[in-house]
Amino acid sequence: MKLPHPFKEKADFEHFREMATGKGKGGPVPLVELFADPEIMSEVTGIEFPAEKYLELMNLSSQSSIEMLKLGLDFLELHLAFSKAVGYDYVTAFPTIPLARTPSQMGPNPAQQGKVRIWQNEHQGVITSREAFRNFPWPGPEDWSIVSVLVLESRLPPGARINHFAFGIFEEVRNLMGLETLAIKSIEDPELVDDVLEKLTGLLAILLEKAAAHPAVGAIFYGDDLAFNSGPMISPRWLREHVFPRQKRLAEIAHRHGKPFLFHCCGRSESFMEDLIETVGIDAYHSFQDNVIPVEEYYRRYHDRIGILGGLDVGILATGTPDQVRARCRQILDVCGPGGGYCMGSGNSVTNYCSVQNYYAMIDETRKWNQEHF
Amino acid sequence: MEKLRELVRTGKAKDTEARVKELIKEGKAPEAIMNESMIPAMDDAGDLFQKGEYFLPEIMVAARAMQQGMNVLKPHLLRAKVKPLGKVVVGTVEGDFHDIGKNLVVMTLEGAGFEVIDLGTDVAPAKFVEAIKQHKPQVVGLSALLTATMVAMKDTIQAIEAAGLRDQVKIMIGGAPVRQEFCREIGADFCGPDSTSGRDYARDVVSG
Repeated sequence: MKLPHPFKEKADFEHFREMATGKGKGGPVPLVELFADPEIMSEVTGIEFPAEKYLELMNLSSQSSIEMLKLGLDFLELHLAFSKAVGYDYVTAFPTIPLARTPSQMGPNPAQQGKVRIWQNEHQGVITSREAFRNFPWPGPEDWSIVSVLVLESRLPPGARINHFAFGIFEEVRNLMGLETLAIKSIEDPELVDDVLEKLTGLLAILLEKAAAHPAVGAIFYGDDLAFNSGPMISPRWLREHVFPRQKRLAEIAHRHGKPFLFHCCGRSESFMEDLIETVGIDAYHSFQDNVIPVEEYYRRYHDRIGILGGLDVGILATGTPDQVRARCRQILDVCGPGGGYCMGSGNSVTNYCSVQNYYAMIDETRKWNQEHF
Repeated sequence: MEKLRELVRTGKAKDTEARVKELIKEGKAPEAIMNESMIPAMDDAGDLFQKGEYFLPEIMVAARAMQQGMNVLKPHLLRAKVKPLGKVVVGTVEGDFHDIGKNLVVMTLEGAGFEVIDLGTDVAPAKFVEAIKQHKPQVVGLSALLTATMVAMKDTIQAIEAAGLRDQVKIMIGGAPVRQEFCREIGADFCGPDSTSGRDYARDVVSG
């Protein structure tokens, strides 16, 4: 099923950048997504893709089989076609992650007619002691590549650039140690957690240096979930000591190359928003849930300092009707649209349990709203 | 006793174990050690979590200290025929493998003196039914992280109803996407924002 009306005729990354970073104070509201699940991109583009292979793609390297490398190219092709079909101002590029993560499961979900999801082991990771840290097969600088950027650069739609995604250091330390181990070690062995975080920061810095320096890359989209719905996973005091200064170093790499640092973080982040804005130096904030804090509230509080991205609750996209999606979309646009510094999109990502009709309703309502106002 | 409460609350597992041994040696009643020190300590931790002063790490080390103290105390409680406050069956519903939230609820309930039967993750409705028949809990807790998987909560409640067990248990639900409206819609009795509210609800249920 195709989008009935194109969202826009031509990509305009510069406008997206202005609006996404809060500098643009007027003009049409662009679209933004952190990502969409392969099933959604397939349905939108008509390009078939084996969604169940998605997890394997995260470990792609130059050592991968020809079949997997081809699948990686197909995945980029899917992103490119998706971006063109919908009318985004950018194409999303994902890095391959040469890290041996904790065991993940990928399985069919009976509640979703067998669609697959990835589950991360949260108990015990692969680094649970100093010895495991020392013996971990850490990748070298040569293992981090921006091959997806190199593939996409010459094929971008006119006016579009690349949003380069980066997995955050707190997410990766959780993946490597397991959340429960991390929680206990943060109190009992903070030096070990600190060393893992420092190692991850150094490695991610290598990737970001390469990505941010590339002229086809327009922005870094950094994803680092730090909070539950109820509040931070670990105390803001601990985050201030161990995480935010390192995120700042990563943001500075993007800024040094003149690229904005768009920040994704799930959960209730009020208690550390000032840290993200003042210490880390984020240019935009992404991820909202209506049952935590609705996006309009964040817009009111912060839009004069950073851009506000997305916010249409995934629950509505998943279980609402197209009319409900349109109504919520318009509510958000009426608050966040007129003053600029806002891009419309889902509150988190377009998951494979969202309906494409609802996704299209969000896009079409934004298009109509833009026509009425600009 | 106050010292023990402080040791549990601050997650000093080894010191907790040693202090429980000392108190038993001093002749303190096991029930008093549990009710006057250890449960209040976990209550303190849960309340601090709710107030935003404690986070996952502090709760986890406190629960571990409690567990270590309880390992020493349990044989004495059994000899003294002390019964748990009540029984709760808890699980993450079918199709969902997330369990941090559920584990927090388990820790908090155990810390409050409940016997908790943890069915784990990806629990089919039939397994909840079976557990209710076997363990006869007063409360059943259902957990889910995703909008896509929380629909299995409804299936679970329907299965409990179909088995004729709905009147025997109160059902509480929790998880990131869960809201009051959904709670009412599927016929659950309680929906809480955190593990501490789940503890308080379970206490209300058993105290009638």
